Amino acid sequence: MSGLRRVDVAIIGAGPAGVAAGVAARKEGAEKVVVFERDWEPGGILQQCIHPGFGLHTFGEELTGPEYMHRYLERAREAGVEFDLNTMVFQMDKPVSSDGRKAARFWVMNPSRGIEQVEAKSVVLAMGCRERPAGALGIAGSRPSGVYTAGAAQRFVNMEGLMPGRKVAIMGTGDIGLIMARRMVLEGADVVGVFEIMPWVSGLRRNIAQCLDDFHIPYYLNQSVCELHGKGRLEGVTVVEIGADRKPVSGSEKFVSCDTLLLAVGLIPENELSRMAGIEIEPGTGGPLVNELMQTSEECVFAAGNVVVVYDLVDFVSREGERAGASAARYAMGRLVKGDREFKIVPGDNIRIISPQILTASEDVTVYLRVGSPVEGKCRLRADPGLSSQNLRYARPGEMNEIKLRADKLKALAPDVTNVAIGLEVL
Amino acid sequence: MHWPAVIGDYDVIVIGAGISGGTIARELSRYTLKAAVIERAPDIPFGSSRANSSMIHGGFDDKPGTMKARFCPAGNRMYQTLHEELDFKFRKCGSYVCAIGEEEEKHLEMLLGYGKANGVPGIEIISGDALRAREPNAAPAITAALWSPTAAIVNNFEASLAFIENARRNGVDLFMETEVNGLLFNEDRSRVRGVATKRGDFTARVVINAAGVNSDIISRMAGDDSFLIHPTRGEYFIFDRRVGDMVDAFFFSCPSDKGKGVTVTHTADDNLLIGPTSVHQADRDNRNTTRPGLEEVFEGASRIVPNIPRNMAITTFSGVRANSKSGDFHINALSSPRGFVNVAGIKSPGFTSAPAIAAYVVEMMKDSLGDLVKFEPDPKFVPERRHIPRFADMPMEERERLAKADPKWGQIVCRCESVTEAQVVEAIKRGARTVAGVKLWVRPGTGRCQGGFCAPRVVEILARELGVSPLEITRHGDDSFMLTGKTKEPLLPGEPL
Amino acid sequence: MPDVKKFLCVSCPVGCSLSVTVEGTKVISVEGNTCPLGEKYAHSEVANPVRTFTSTVRVRGGSLPVCPVRSKTPLPLSRVFDVTREVAKLTAEPPIEVGSTLIENVCGTGVDIVASRSLPKR
Repeated sequence: MSGLRRVDVAIIGAGPAGVAAGVAARKEGAEKVVVFERDWEPGGILQQCIHPGFGLHTFGEELTGPEYMHRYLERAREAGVEFDLNTMVFQMDKPVSSDGRKAARFWVMNPSRGIEQVEAKSVVLAMGCRERPAGALGIAGSRPSGVYTAGAAQRFVNMEGLMPGRKVAIMGTGDIGLIMARRMVLEGADVVGVFEIMPWVSGLRRNIAQCLDDFHIPYYLNQSVCELHGKGRLEGVTVVEIGADRKPVSGSEKFVSCDTLLLAVGLIPENELSRMAGIEIEPGTGGPLVNELMQTSEECVFAAGNVVVVYDLVDFVSREGERAGASAARYAMGRLVKGDREFKIVPGDNIRIISPQILTASEDVTVYLRVGSPVEGKCRLRADPGLSSQNLRYARPGEMNEIKLRADKLKALAPDVTNVAIGLEVL
Repeated sequence: MHWPAVIGDYDVIVIGAGISGGTIARELSRYTLKAAVIERAPDIPFGSSRANSSMIHGGFDDKPGTMKARFCPAGNRMYQTLHEELDFKFRKCGSYVCAIGEEEEKHLEMLLGYGKANGVPGIEIISGDALRAREPNAAPAITAALWSPTAAIVNNFEASLAFIENARRNGVDLFMETEVNGLLFNEDRSRVRGVATKRGDFTARVVINAAGVNSDIISRMAGDDSFLIHPTRGEYFIFDRRVGDMVDAFFFSCPSDKGKGVTVTHTADDNLLIGPTSVHQADRDNRNTTRPGLEEVFEGASRIVPNIPRNMAITTFSGVRANSKSGDFHINALSSPRGFVNVAGIKSPGFTSAPAIAAYVVEMMKDSLGDLVKFEPDPKFVPERRHIPRFADMPMEERERLAKADPKWGQIVCRCESVTEAQVVEAIKRGARTVAGVKLWVRPGTGRCQGGFCAPRVVEILARELGVSPLEITRHGDDSFMLTGKTKEPLLPGEPL
Repeated sequence: MPDVKKFLCVSCPVGCSLSVTVEGTKVISVEGNTCPLGEKYAHSEVANPVRTFTSTVRVRGGSLPVCPVRSKTPLPLSRVFDVTREVAKLTAEPPIEVGSTLIENVCGTGVDIVASRSLPKR
């Protein structure tokens, strides 16, 4: 066995979160910052997101996914971030004690170098997320070919030039599904409809306008695909209405002829490695429990991007990636300062997802939230006791909301206060 | 007039490459005779051997005196060493039949009696509390359980492949995607002389019918309509590995008026498996799942193991079992026409019984068909066979060694199950032809993302290794194409690309 | 006779619902927008809706078989299918530089189709 390979800050995944973390870690002063990427090029999933809509906050204009990454990778090169490509981190051990601090250890494989063990003073988890598969939904019927997650179809079409089907139904209104509806039409396929089980759209509203309405693709709320037909290739799906009780309305079933079903029914943070390393996972988000420094339950392990919580905009992913990268660099250099308080953020009314979940009052923080059900009208986000409030014109599950909390206000809370509650009030 | 070519001449032809056909083929390969297996599917196992509980039963479930009671405990004993010889995954976990209340406890007493009569070692009835001391997730309502220590779980894909592959290693030919559409006879139809297939004819001295759910159709081709297959479909859930250890042993429910009872299993690959239902159907190929069926499975499983987290389900499937009307196995050599052997109605505990049935079939052939086929032991017979090394289960040193020797061992294709490109390539070399076939061999796509990540990669590797376009790759044969063309093609009709 | 048209602004992820009062092709007023982009979008939608077009082109001998492309600026929505077919005819030769023009003035729209990534040779 070859010896340990040592780095200062190791970043797992060269998507937008990982690259931003790398840039920030170098800027913060960390010496050897290495991003491990299993693909042959950095960029992650954005390389297959060829549609526009990225970077309005970061670059002041709307870029395609590859363009966004191209610009960010320029920053990474200038900052001196190292990329270790074709290198997959496949196992992560529990952090070990080293020089009085914790250090992370993990295993990588690379086709030309084989297997290596790496020790890093700190690690940023930036593995992103994966798509919820069909099997988990318990769709009845046969098991034909032609059923893909929207992202798998996107890879075939945009990276490999291959068509997953000709006549497409889409289950779920997640953004990738909406984007793929347009994409399939522009490659000459017929998109017969988009079926959403909930009474509301889960993706961004503008994607309904520019991906469906522009191309006269129908979408249906409160409808779900309940059965697959076809022994070889998919021949059609049964779609059923969902009643006010959220149960299928018997007798409402209809057959929809199609040879392809794309699933856009949710994203799940990818935390296989985090679990191997014994990192505490927050059940609400499915990602690591993190504090405002993006530090996980293991002090030398940080996390950023969709591995923590599924964001709606890549700009936020980059921003949080930078926060995690800076923290990881400070930890590696022995100068990360946590605050001296510890608060748990608890979700209040109509709040489904919160990140970060722990506050130590070290610095001002932007908390990201998603609401559980849409409020179409004036409402107010409140952080209690008396920390902050923010008026909103509406709140929708498909779009993240932010609320800023100031460190000085947190520090000033009475010593017996250990919870911060964030909720949404309808005005 | 078109005469189909004779593809091959054999002493014995086995129809069907499931666990029955595979175990028989391996038994035959111990002799110098010339044998072939003919299978309609593109990959193995594609029938009942693919979709079942993957259980190696103790052997207490069947009434003494039946063929099942004879072959099941015998098969169980054989598996205890076969898994080492043939290198398929095997977990000796034991099983519990769980009783809730006095009525069901009476059923345990009956099974205990059967088990003792069938020679099942070590079985005993324990209290509900004793059960919960060993298995904390067993339902509080369970009042007693029948423990059978020799019960086990296999990876039924690996086991099915192992027998057939070892048979091939020892000289048996295998013809895939070769559906039988008739039998060949001598002039007065007193002897079966082979099989007719879509690819052409195969001549043989003896034809063995191990065609699973279609075995009665094959048997009728020989003029024997003494049995009928009544296919029963069973639905299952598979759960994420993270909850695989909710139970250690195999849990049976007692049968009730609602059905034979749902089981809960910690599989050989550490998933949690629950099922099946049991629904009679006319269609032999209908492997659909249904909403009510899946509900029944979940409720049934929750009765003996409560708190199974439904949101941890990663997929559902169903299998069709070759139930014969008598309820027992149907194994015989026809006296007229001669040269035809039925190994039919092999449903649960068919997988367990298969090696014992295979040994019996060969003995039966020696007795009654010895004039047609000579059984001379082959001194070159090699009983051992190794599966494709499993990266996920290897020590790190072994991984390092392999990755150094071949970069494909350093390339993960399926991250959920830690499957490398080398394993996929090897599976294709050893016979996998479809995306489903690769999955049966080395597991990419069986994990929690269900192929979302690896399916495009597996398609690419299959196309590369088989030297065909990705457009020709299917999920499971026939018209189950993964892709429908190249991009741009639909926009430029008539223009060559 | 003034008419009220409803649009959903796609200029940014917020997706404001716009109510646009028009007389013929003349915009009288725009409501519902929360920034100047919405005002601009409303005028454009009434006069001649435009969108940023993205797709791929085939590549011979590249590290990928296709290269993503975009319209350098938005082009008329009504021409999107014409542009799609035009783009489908092209086979590009690597190496390709991000931002490089692959089709000038596509379908006479006055807009160029440019590569949205760099693509080396295989």
